[in-house]
Amino acid sequence: MRAGVAPRPIVRGPAVGRVALTLGGGLLVLLVALVLAIGMGSVAIAPDDVLRILAHRAFGIGSTVGIADSLETIVIDLRLPRVLGAMVVGAGLASAGTVFQATLRNPMADPYIIGTAAGASLGATIGIALPVLLPALAIGIGGTWLGLGIVQALAFGGGIGTVLLVISVARQGGQLPSVTLLLTGYAVSSLLAAGVALLMISSGRALAAIFSWLMGSLAAVAWVDLAIATPVIAVAFLGLLSRWRSLNLLALGDAPASNLGLAVGREKLRLTLLATLATSAAVAISGTIGFIGLVVPHLLRLVVGPDHRLLMPASAMAGALLLVLADLGARLSGGIPVGVVTAFVGAPFFLWLLRRARRVSLGASA
Amino acid sequence: MTPARLLRPAPVFPAVVLFLAACAPAVTTTTGSAGPPSIVAQATRSAAPTAAAYPMTLTDDAGRSVTLTAEPERIVSLAPSNTEIVCALDACDRLVGVTDFDDYPAEVAAIDKVVNFAQVDVEAVVAAEPDLVLAAGNELTPTSVIDQLTDLDLRVVVLYPESLDEVAADIEFIGAAIGRADAAAELVDDMRTRVADVEAAVSGLDRPRTFYEVSVFEGTIYTAGEGSFLASLIETAGGEPVTGDALSTSIEIEDLVAADPELILLGDATYDPTITPESVAERPGWGTMTAVTQGDVVVVGEDVVITRPGPRIVDGLEALVRAIHPGALGDG
Repeated sequence: MRAGVAPRPIVRGPAVGRVALTLGGGLLVLLVALVLAIGMGSVAIAPDDVLRILAHRAFGIGSTVGIADSLETIVIDLRLPRVLGAMVVGAGLASAGTVFQATLRNPMADPYIIGTAAGASLGATIGIALPVLLPALAIGIGGTWLGLGIVQALAFGGGIGTVLLVISVARQGGQLPSVTLLLTGYAVSSLLAAGVALLMISSGRALAAIFSWLMGSLAAVAWVDLAIATPVIAVAFLGLLSRWRSLNLLALGDAPASNLGLAVGREKLRLTLLATLATSAAVAISGTIGFIGLVVPHLLRLVVGPDHRLLMPASAMAGALLLVLADLGARLSGGIPVGVVTAFVGAPFFLWLLRRARRVSLGASA
Repeated sequence: MTPARLLRPAPVFPAVVLFLAACAPAVTTTTGSAGPPSIVAQATRSAAPTAAAYPMTLTDDAGRSVTLTAEPERIVSLAPSNTEIVCALDACDRLVGVTDFDDYPAEVAAIDKVVNFAQVDVEAVVAAEPDLVLAAGNELTPTSVIDQLTDLDLRVVVLYPESLDEVAADIEFIGAAIGRADAAAELVDDMRTRVADVEAAVSGLDRPRTFYEVSVFEGTIYTAGEGSFLASLIETAGGEPVTGDALSTSIEIEDLVAADPELILLGDATYDPTITPESVAERPGWGTMTAVTQGDVVVVGEDVVITRPGPRIVDGLEALVRAIHPGALGDG
């Protein structure tokens, strides 16, 4: 082979124009959704007031004279972090779901499938229930560590730790067989879920708080949560996106990917860890919100096709948009947990998708 | 489906739990109380106690320190008991936000609701522009919400009285905070007199083993927790409370049968007319208890004032006396 000649790509990528249209259009829709979602809630704020407050606070343009201070507080300290939180969490869950569906070649795969949710739930439940069970700890638990609440820190650590445990059990000679990984994840999740149930039964007055966490909520997202979760999810996302070739190959199956030259075991491990990082960071600030990570990748695979170069960013943006809308529904309905909204909307949609799948092959598993 | 997903209950269940948590404030027991609140007026410590002096530094029932720069004119109440205290001090017109559970006095119905289905709408609280927020302790107002409001520079005071004395102390506390110390002193004097009358009326009387039914839900029986406010209220009213677990406030049916109450008070009949002495007698296992065989199962219609630690708590106490020792108060 002569030097200087690029090898022909194995798969031709999507047309540049289509990529630009999809991603540019997606960003535009997200911006509009941001302004509208900040304006709506239990206190309605006109879109032009929202824009004036945002322009003034973010860029120092114009002034907010004539707008009540309380509205400014609501926009800047409550709604903006909440809506951005919904975007970050939605994007993280949808991209992690896309990765798990590809690497596990399982259409039922979601970001929580190998134990992240159970581990994070146990961590958060311990964080919420312990001050009740051991009053002496109440003062310590109320504190923060690096600005992150103890509950968030334990949820994040619980998610990562559980997946590391599952991987170490499921690994066989450098390989990470999908079936073993799934079954190990299921078994470990069951064990941890039993621990969560045990803590809930004995948690007394903290029970409502634990329920609320398990149902998922973006109500408490503050700037400090965003400052920690956003870089983690962004780094994980970029890491995953940069491995789009591996994702495309793994979607074919372990054996074909291996035959095509991919170091399957190492690559699956790397992708699983990155996706777990994104999931755990998302769950830490929002609790376990279901269905976004399951449904969005399926939907986007139908819309933009299976090439992960486009599928990953498209899924992330669609996940961000859907969670903003679901959270808006949760807020406008007077505080229904956002996890309930995503399930109410997601489940019927998934059923429709299943019906459709009789005609169109569903997901990465073909 | 992952096991964690299986853990998630049907959507109605948390609502029920929240409801239980919301309607039984005095029943749940607490662990981290910092004792009665204290008030230190910074500027004029030696001035007459009735003169409100601002800035005023308060230490609330959760041990948190809050400084008020001026007399609060816009007050948000996150618990019905707090609302009742403010209104009893003739400051109802200063309330700019209450809960959807508030039902007394009638005029609070017109005030904006900032707590719906036991969930604090933080945006609505901020929009009300309060200069004082009265929260409830023991997770009735979640700690995360208290932190969030405090971070938004709101003056949040947590009230969680666990005895008649602490209700009185909280009334005096709010009185001092909102410049109504005189009215508070008058109210508390009246309450203390009535409590003393009750104590005199029941002293020397038999103390029946008394089981107060807060609710029965899916086979779980909720009652007064060990060491709880409700348990101490029953004691003051001249009964010997049959208590449940301090944390869950529930009691197993076997333990209840073994405790063999001589008197069963149906507090939950306040809300559910199908709960009657007859329906209790038909419950499996309940028929053998002395209270049931002797016909001492009594409907108590005053659960709201018995379990709400506000100014009307003495009405609740007197209602308990009327149920436990009919005639002892001389009013039949």
